Amino acid sequence: MAEQETHVADRTLAEIALPVRGMSCASCVATVEGALRGLNGVQEATVNLTAEKAFVTFAPDRVSLAEMERAIHDVGYEVGKEELVLQVSGMSCASCVAAIEGAVGNLPGVASAHVSLTAGTAKVTYYPGAVTPAQIKRTIRDLGYEAAEKLEGAAALDREREARQREIRRQGRWMLVAWPLALLVMLGTFQEVWILPRFVPKLLASPFLLFAITTPIVFGPGWQFFINSYRGLRHGVTDMNLLYATGIGAAYLIAVINTFWPHAGFGGPEATFFEAAALLTAFIILGRYLEALTRGRASEAIRKLMSLQPKIARVVRDGTEVEVPADEVEVDELLLVRPGEQIPVDGVVIDGYSAVDQSMLTGESMPVEKRAGDEVIGGTMNKTGAFKFRATKVGRDTALAQIIKLVEDAQASKAPIQRLADLVAGKFIFWVHVLSLTVFLFWFFLGYGMFFSPETRLMLTPYTLAEVGVFGFALLISVAVLVISCPCAVGMATPSAMMAGTGKAAEHGILFKGADAIENASKLTTIVFDKTGTLTRGEPSVTTVVPAGGWATDQVLRLAAAAEVRSEHPLGEAIVRAARAGGLAVEEPQAFDAIPGHGVEAGLDGRAILLGNRKLMRERAVNISGVVGVAESMEQDGKTVMFMAVDGRPAGLIAVADTLKEHSVEAIGILHRLGLRVAMITGDNRRTAEAIGRQVGIDRVLAEVLPQDKAMEIKGLQIRGQRVAMVGDGVNDAPALAQADVGMAIGSGTDVAKETGHVVLIKDDMRDVVTTIEVAKATMGKVRQNLFWAFFYNTVTIPVAAGLLYPWLRQVVSPEIAAFLMAISSLTVTLNTTLLKRFTPSLRRGSSGAAAAGGLAPVVTVEGGR
Amino acid sequence: MKPGSAVRQAGIFGLLVALGAAVLFHGVAAFLGGYPAVARYGGAAWVFLLAWIITMPVLAPLLKNRT
Repeated sequence: MAEQETHVADRTLAEIALPVRGMSCASCVATVEGALRGLNGVQEATVNLTAEKAFVTFAPDRVSLAEMERAIHDVGYEVGKEELVLQVSGMSCASCVAAIEGAVGNLPGVASAHVSLTAGTAKVTYYPGAVTPAQIKRTIRDLGYEAAEKLEGAAALDREREARQREIRRQGRWMLVAWPLALLVMLGTFQEVWILPRFVPKLLASPFLLFAITTPIVFGPGWQFFINSYRGLRHGVTDMNLLYATGIGAAYLIAVINTFWPHAGFGGPEATFFEAAALLTAFIILGRYLEALTRGRASEAIRKLMSLQPKIARVVRDGTEVEVPADEVEVDELLLVRPGEQIPVDGVVIDGYSAVDQSMLTGESMPVEKRAGDEVIGGTMNKTGAFKFRATKVGRDTALAQIIKLVEDAQASKAPIQRLADLVAGKFIFWVHVLSLTVFLFWFFLGYGMFFSPETRLMLTPYTLAEVGVFGFALLISVAVLVISCPCAVGMATPSAMMAGTGKAAEHGILFKGADAIENASKLTTIVFDKTGTLTRGEPSVTTVVPAGGWATDQVLRLAAAAEVRSEHPLGEAIVRAARAGGLAVEEPQAFDAIPGHGVEAGLDGRAILLGNRKLMRERAVNISGVVGVAESMEQDGKTVMFMAVDGRPAGLIAVADTLKEHSVEAIGILHRLGLRVAMITGDNRRTAEAIGRQVGIDRVLAEVLPQDKAMEIKGLQIRGQRVAMVGDGVNDAPALAQADVGMAIGSGTDVAKETGHVVLIKDDMRDVVTTIEVAKATMGKVRQNLFWAFFYNTVTIPVAAGLLYPWLRQVVSPEIAAFLMAISSLTVTLNTTLLKRFTPSLRRGSSGAAAAGGLAPVVTVEGGR
Repeated sequence: MKPGSAVRQAGIFGLLVALGAAVLFHGVAAFLGGYPAVARYGGAAWVFLLAWIITMPVLAPLLKNRT
């Protein structure tokens, strides 16, 4: 995201998206947000865990990017800086070097710039959220030099994946250390239990050997938690690492004391907690490993989209065909595409014919025919023929780049339900420590004396705590509370499902602009469609030809087309299109005269053709009484009727109307079956609107509504308690799209509509409204399930860990069991989110009706139409 | 006062609060009697650690806001 500047209260504020590495849970979000907000000059800081980005609004004159980076680094995380190596040509002396270094170095977001005159390269380190490689290259070119990226397009694409892979490898390496050693410690601890004495040497049970094996686990894989806790505390923030560090540290410390000073009152030589410290560390590392894996999978949709970006373009320059990087193509350049090649940028076909597979962007399964005048989209695949096209949109303006940005923004945004979860998770650490202290004080001063029994065991183990003293007992329970309360699952629940949901929607050509759009779309009760261009094609088509006076239908249409071929009126164009579509030859008239407001008259092969409205017929004394009844009937259906006379005698009628799009009726039918109320809003006259409404099965028609009143109509529905989606395509729909709970803009519509809408439907298919609602409901279902499991885990396990059941069971939760349960809760959420990948919209399952009725519960049952 | 020094101040105040809590804990345990020295001192250390962790994030934003 490029840096944007806004002026608020006379102070220039900038916005930036900084990539932050190393976050693993919701408390990390709170930590980074806290560190950034603590800086003078930072007005707002919002961190998204799954996108691994910090969105900061700041005053550049008061705080620098380097200070923000330092603050994030100090709390234990890294700002992802990237390096760009450019091949620079045209430099001749040291002053060129200084000029480039100065200009690039002054760009906001550039950390350093080093230019080598001899190698002809510029090495630029930059913050990817603040400045783009294209801006850097443009700056160098503006100075009069040529700059091109050194062959690393694929590497750039994979950089994010590599960072994740590094984290996965790092935690994987620690798992290789922690798990074998921890299992050894566990075998040693339980050496005397069950059949183990037969296989496990007694030596392994020696507390000194257990100390020797556990120490490398705590100071190797476990050390990261101590370091990160320390960094956080230095900045006054507590996070999940602190829970781990206190848990591991306390268990290890008690074990060491009981080993070297067995009579110190911490449970004696039989109660070394080495296995607790070792397994606790191993389980936490396992949790980190699983989280790293999940985050990588959740952002798969973005990577898939990015991988569609073409690398090479074949451009015609100075009459010669040259291959250039796709991001260097400029608007209005001519490009060639051969069969099997990817279309590099957006453009308009100039010459040639082909079929283009657009499924990767629109989800359409059939290739789309392209000929001169048709638009092509960058990133789509040319199938059969070769063609030449003119670039209309390049770089960040292409449809694909816009789609990637929309999906990224949506995944970076927070749904209201997620903000609540973040708030809970953020405050959780503080309250967990308060609870841990309270529990410790209770068991130290009251509980131990009231309830302790020498038969005390650790839950799910045969391990007795007969000799444990008051401090050791209270500490054990206090540590178990700390470890079991980790809100990792709460933090992951919403963003992981939202990322998977937006990705799944993008696969079907539906772009949610924010997580709140998904949440709102799942709660809709009323869908309002714009008429023209949304439910209908938006251009008139010939619907009926009624011959009269002995003429045949084809003859009527052929003569009418000849009369209208020179006309520029939309109704005339519709007639010509219909004739051509019917395979009729459209002849040029020998005479032609347009009669404004009435129709046309033309001469063909010695015949006088008159085509127009009633008034024209009356003025020319043509007797149309025989066809007026049919005409009125068609007009009742919202059609525009034109009368035709040949040589002064009536020859027939031609009815023209704005026709429904292919899937409009089916889409409305499914929405009805989902229990949704469907309305149509239009500025068109009531008769035409109601005719369309009847054809498509609309519950309520809002006709003759001025553009500025469309939003008021939506607001009226909202005041009556409806949750409203507006589906539209035009500039006049923008206010209504903005007012609606969910504005759905058609991809073929105007830019204004697409910018205003909360959801963009790339395909021109109204059934995608159904898919949008289905994806939203599936995603929110997953969010609710995840939150349930996460909160259920904490609600159930914390009281158990705090010793609520101890007076009856005489068992306490050991720290390693607490860590195991914590890892299980994260794993449950992860696996549950993964199930969303299997989601298929009902239309794709091939049985829309059945699926709509059975696969989805009605959103709400509304009363009948008014 | 810069944010960094606010955090340092919070750390110091937090230490003082935690120290007070630990002393109070030790005093109550000694007053009630029956607790071995290791339990009193070990408990005081644990109370100190948790109290410091609890007070730090409460004090830091308060002091930062005062800047």
